Amino acid sequence: MSDMAAAVGDIGPAGTFLSWGMFSIQLGNLIVIITMLVVFALVLVLPFPGGRRGR
Amino acid sequence: MSRTIEDRPTVPPAAPSKGGPVAARRRALLAGRQWKGKEREYDLFKELTVGVIVVGVLVVGVAAIAGSPDEPTINLQSWGNASPFDFVATASTELGKTSSTATYGPPYSTTTDATQTLGPIDLQSLSGRRIPIDTAADFVTTPLRKLHSEIPALATWDAADSTQQAKWANSYADAIGKAPQGDPAKVKSGSYGPVPAMTAGLLAEAQRGALDGAIQGEGGIFNTDYTRTILFLGDGSYFPDLATAQHLTGDQWGMMNETGNFPGQSWLWLFSFWYQVPAIGGLANADLVVVGLMGLLTVLLALVPFIPGLRSLPRLIPLHKLIWRDYYRRR
Repeated sequence: MSDMAAAVGDIGPAGTFLSWGMFSIQLGNLIVIITMLVVFALVLVLPFPGGRRGR
Repeated sequence: MSRTIEDRPTVPPAAPSKGGPVAARRRALLAGRQWKGKEREYDLFKELTVGVIVVGVLVVGVAAIAGSPDEPTINLQSWGNASPFDFVATASTELGKTSSTATYGPPYSTTTDATQTLGPIDLQSLSGRRIPIDTAADFVTTPLRKLHSEIPALATWDAADSTQQAKWANSYADAIGKAPQGDPAKVKSGSYGPVPAMTAGLLAEAQRGALDGAIQGEGGIFNTDYTRTILFLGDGSYFPDLATAQHLTGDQWGMMNETGNFPGQSWLWLFSFWYQVPAIGGLANADLVVVGLMGLLTVLLALVPFIPGLRSLPRLIPLHKLIWRDYYRRR
């Protein structure tokens, strides 16, 4: 479709999309989601910063 | 200084809540009781400062490395220049009042049976026709008049009745659809009245950059209301094609995407998820069904403490014991 070709030319590239069957995800979103999961796992596993114990 | 759950002392079990002044007094006494457990220092300002600095450095650092989405502006001028055939075809449907905006229903038009309903629920109609739009007048004839363009054709248009106007416009839109490559210059001859001249004049105004301001027509120096421009753009195929190319449409998880490789609103995945389910995404009232589902899930989330089974999940999956493992080890 000529309009479609023109449209794609008017803006930047569509980015990288990873697809598995009906599921598809943009690479940027996948990186953010994986980062969030990693941070969540670290929060669970890492100890609290050692504060000075009071009385 | 504040305390943490780690140091919480055992307190006598609260009396059964029976309400009334006695129970209120007991609760006040409990809240006012002096703390006898252990304490430890906790600097909220330090945490806030460290948090702001860390997040600030991350945001500025990543922005410096990766930049930010900066797509060129799409407006009526760029549409007219990039896809003039689509522009003229769309302008014809605006004159014939068969475009998406013209037949959308509230808040733009009063088209019957255009709204999404779920049984007796018709949320779209509740808004009423708050932004009345006459596509022929708002998108074509009024801007042309403002710009003093195609005056003779406008006079012919104004002299005809609405039936004749619709007949001209719809015949021309059909003819463009059948023309090779949709080229208005290659349409078969027919009875199109002043429509070809009007749409060609509108295209010329768009291409020289005068149409955006004429359609918005707010009268001031600055235009901030782009409703009409975006509706006109959306009625064509050029603008939706841009969205499709960037995976920004509903059936492409568009709600959570950003242009290019920039991450988008990934927290909206659940909203977008329902549109990917064919049984839901294919419904005529998909938007209403998805909003209803999300509303139901939100209510369920709010009522978790009252839902048997669901409220027992922390006991079955004791994640909190991992987080507060120091406390549970020493208890």
